[in-house]
Amino acid sequence: MLILPEIFISVSALLLLLLNSFYKKVSYRDIAYLALVIIFVSQFFILKDIFYFEEIFNGFFVIDSFSSFIKILILIGTGLIIYFYIILKNPQSLNRSEFPILILFALVGMMLMVSANNFLSLFMSIELQSLTLYVLVSFSRNDFNSSEAGVKYFIIGSLSTCIFLFGTSLIYGLVGSVSFSEIGIFMSEQFQMPTLLIVGLIFILVSISLKISAAPFHMWTPDVYQGAPTMVTTILSTIPKIAAFAVLIRLLINPFSEIIIDWGKILVILSITSMVVGSLGALLQTDLKRLMAYSTINHIGFILMGLIPGTEDGVTAICIYLIFYLTMNLGVFLFILNMNRDQINVSKIKDLSGLYQSQPLMATFMVILLFSMAGIPPMAGFIGKLIILNLVIDNDLYYLAIIAVLTSVIAAFYYIRLIKSIFFDQSNDELDIINNDQSKYLLGFFAVFNLGVIFYPQFFLDLCSSVTLSLFALN
Amino acid sequence: MLNLPILPILIILPLIGMAFVLLSPESDEFAKESKKSAIWTSSSTFLLSLYLPLNFDKSIPHFQFVNTFSWFNSDNLRFSLGVDGLSMPFVILSTFLILLCIVFIYPQQKKSMRMYLCAFLLLESFLIGTFSAIDLFSFYIFFESILIPMYLLIGFWGGDRRIYSAYKFFLYTLLGSVLMLIAIIFLYQEFGTISIPKLLNSTLPFYIQVWLWLAFFSSFAVKIPMWPFHTWLPDAHVEAPTEGSVILAGILLKLGGYGFIRFNLSLLPDASIFFTPFIYFLSVVAIIYTSFIALVQNDMKKLIAYSSVAHMGFVTIGIFSANIQGLHGAVIQMISHGIISAALFFSIGSIYNRYHTKEINFYGGLNARLPKLSILFLIFTLGSIGFPGTSGFVGEFLTLLAAYSKNTLVAFISAFGVILAASYMLLLYKKVFLGITSDNLKKKMDDINKYEVLVYGSLVCLIILFGIKPEVILDYTTSSLDRITKLYPISIF
Repeated sequence: MLILPEIFISVSALLLLLLNSFYKKVSYRDIAYLALVIIFVSQFFILKDIFYFEEIFNGFFVIDSFSSFIKILILIGTGLIIYFYIILKNPQSLNRSEFPILILFALVGMMLMVSANNFLSLFMSIELQSLTLYVLVSFSRNDFNSSEAGVKYFIIGSLSTCIFLFGTSLIYGLVGSVSFSEIGIFMSEQFQMPTLLIVGLIFILVSISLKISAAPFHMWTPDVYQGAPTMVTTILSTIPKIAAFAVLIRLLINPFSEIIIDWGKILVILSITSMVVGSLGALLQTDLKRLMAYSTINHIGFILMGLIPGTEDGVTAICIYLIFYLTMNLGVFLFILNMNRDQINVSKIKDLSGLYQSQPLMATFMVILLFSMAGIPPMAGFIGKLIILNLVIDNDLYYLAIIAVLTSVIAAFYYIRLIKSIFFDQSNDELDIINNDQSKYLLGFFAVFNLGVIFYPQFFLDLCSSVTLSLFALN
Repeated sequence: MLNLPILPILIILPLIGMAFVLLSPESDEFAKESKKSAIWTSSSTFLLSLYLPLNFDKSIPHFQFVNTFSWFNSDNLRFSLGVDGLSMPFVILSTFLILLCIVFIYPQQKKSMRMYLCAFLLLESFLIGTFSAIDLFSFYIFFESILIPMYLLIGFWGGDRRIYSAYKFFLYTLLGSVLMLIAIIFLYQEFGTISIPKLLNSTLPFYIQVWLWLAFFSSFAVKIPMWPFHTWLPDAHVEAPTEGSVILAGILLKLGGYGFIRFNLSLLPDASIFFTPFIYFLSVVAIIYTSFIALVQNDMKKLIAYSSVAHMGFVTIGIFSANIQGLHGAVIQMISHGIISAALFFSIGSIYNRYHTKEINFYGGLNARLPKLSILFLIFTLGSIGFPGTSGFVGEFLTLLAAYSKNTLVAFISAFGVILAASYMLLLYKKVFLGITSDNLKKKMDDINKYEVLVYGSLVCLIILFGIKPEVILDYTTSSLDRITKLYPISIF
């Protein structure tokens, strides 16, 4: 049974819910540990069939190596976040057993998204994912900011849903089917593409852009990132982005590859605006979480460039970038999660000052991660950018490459501003930062990973190019 | 002859030393242990780097000591290291100056001494990597990586406006080099290889060369720096710690000149001819304009920084004259400027360590207090002016000779730069060392200590050695530079 990991996770999540309500002795921490075990086990279910290809439930879902790869990435990310949740001292409002269970449900939604091969199943899984995330964002019920962020996220999310449904209905009206493969067949039979089909695709692209927070559909990102509990921001900035990217890739490469000229232009605009907004918007931020939101937008713009040629190399480059993006972001957010002063989580940039004096090792790890985000060699971020730039120049999109590198210089400014705070500024009021060893080791692991990639990038290239093959097998 | 993978060893050795420095006990107040390991590392790296000239075949113009490593699983994407006559002197210069820096640091006390030493060892590794990289990507990676330790050096151990200067340094150089990255990727796409020796045999259409030339130019013109891209340099120099300035002036600026010869001149000769008047114009302006600015400076380091821009103007004139005298002159000028400006910055550091200011007006009659240092400073001043018998003379003479054969006017105007250099350097010397001893200098200070004797002694020896016998360097560089000039098309200018 190929959909087994999803079934396994949803059933176990329900069981955990029951367990939680009937056995009061089971603490939130135990539930989180169990969730970690569930994720670990489902990892094996996927790994078992990683090179398998099949359409199941009448083509509702598709299992291929690409989806399996993205699922593994998502599972690793989620597992690490739940591990953060276990090892860290969280704000009191998060210490409820519903928290890890909700993450599990979101996880199921995202895994289904990646596999969806039909607009209906895609819609269903996006909704499952979004609804859980709305709850997670507003999880700190008594916190004004968290509730506000929840409402904002909900409104923008429902807007995105409406737009998605409208686009889908247009496409359904033309094609008479919501299945990706039938849309693909319909399109290959047309001599002239109906304009309405492109309009439908634009609506769907807008909806997904809202999900991946590509500018100009990024407005919600800084507010929600700032308002949500940091643990939830960590989730928002990593795994749903990866899942939404997988959806975008599958959608554009499989059914809509015929009109690459049309969506290519849209992606060019999206990526340029994202890079510009992401780099300029972050310059004057004072809050680390807001800054990370803009940094995410900037990275998203960079990743979108990889999809513009619509080739296998492009998708490979995106997969590589996503791996690095995941490790960089998880590392930085692990650090932000650890920033405490008088038992309260703080996230202002000026809170970082003087960190080098109090915690030289942590400061060094953080600096490595930040240089990696800025794309300064020899860190992993540079390799990711190099591969994408290589692809862009290969396709003669020179203006795009120039804009990309110029914006990355601007982006480098705000990363080195953080480094300046960490290394050069003095502070009288030091953070009581990182007091548990697991965080130190994990942060060290992320930093060493980012440093070490340069020595053997071929591994990632091989891995990603082998999994993306399946996407192009049908064309 | 045993076949030692000498370049990878040279790159890795400082990194191993770094681990030792970091592992040394933290409690040690003067960081004696870590200083010792840093000295051991840098001196052994320097001694090992002497293996290169000893086993270098002077008659071969191609790359020697070549090592390649697989990076991506493709024959075209391999890291390769190697040196030819052009890059070998710079490798030695890097290891030598880093050693001197660490000797100079030895008696001093600084905050976070271990990290300071680590930054220098890291720089050493990256610098050797940059000069010995013979494929585009590893060149770029090393070239860019240098920003990280340099940014931290200026920002953490610098003066009052260190943060502003560190930003300026970082962003200026990054902005220049990202455009080079695009050019590098384009070259890779066009020829399917990143190996520089293979690229040297290929030709590109003129209009593509022009764009690539501009992309490379944007990076190296900021690095060397040429007028009007030089504004980061005075700031960075003034705020950087003494040893940081030494490395900045001594080696980092040479990356620009090295890059011009290696990439612009060798890979893109047609565009180089096209842009030669442009370069001449910028260089002449740099020589005259920055010399005048140097005349009115009140900060010793700033003065030397502006004089560096002027001296680099001679280098670019020499390079783009593209005949053998010009290239020889440029290389000698770069090496000699590397030594002389390092010496000047060291001396200013010595003075600063004693009186804690770099303001020229504060001083006067310093020769009464520090007689030995004032004699040494005079030698360095003469070297900087280009006094016959010092290495500075050889470089300026050769570049002017080359410029004269191409364009009389350029040679004529830039020759005034030599006179201006004499005026600002001698003025500096007069104001600081001669005259009646200023009231500010009442306090008696010890003259130079034994570490400084070692540093200055070796620098003086080299300045005079290269001045009298420039063949020491030229013997090594001749065949490689000959090859470049032979491949270079005949210019109409």
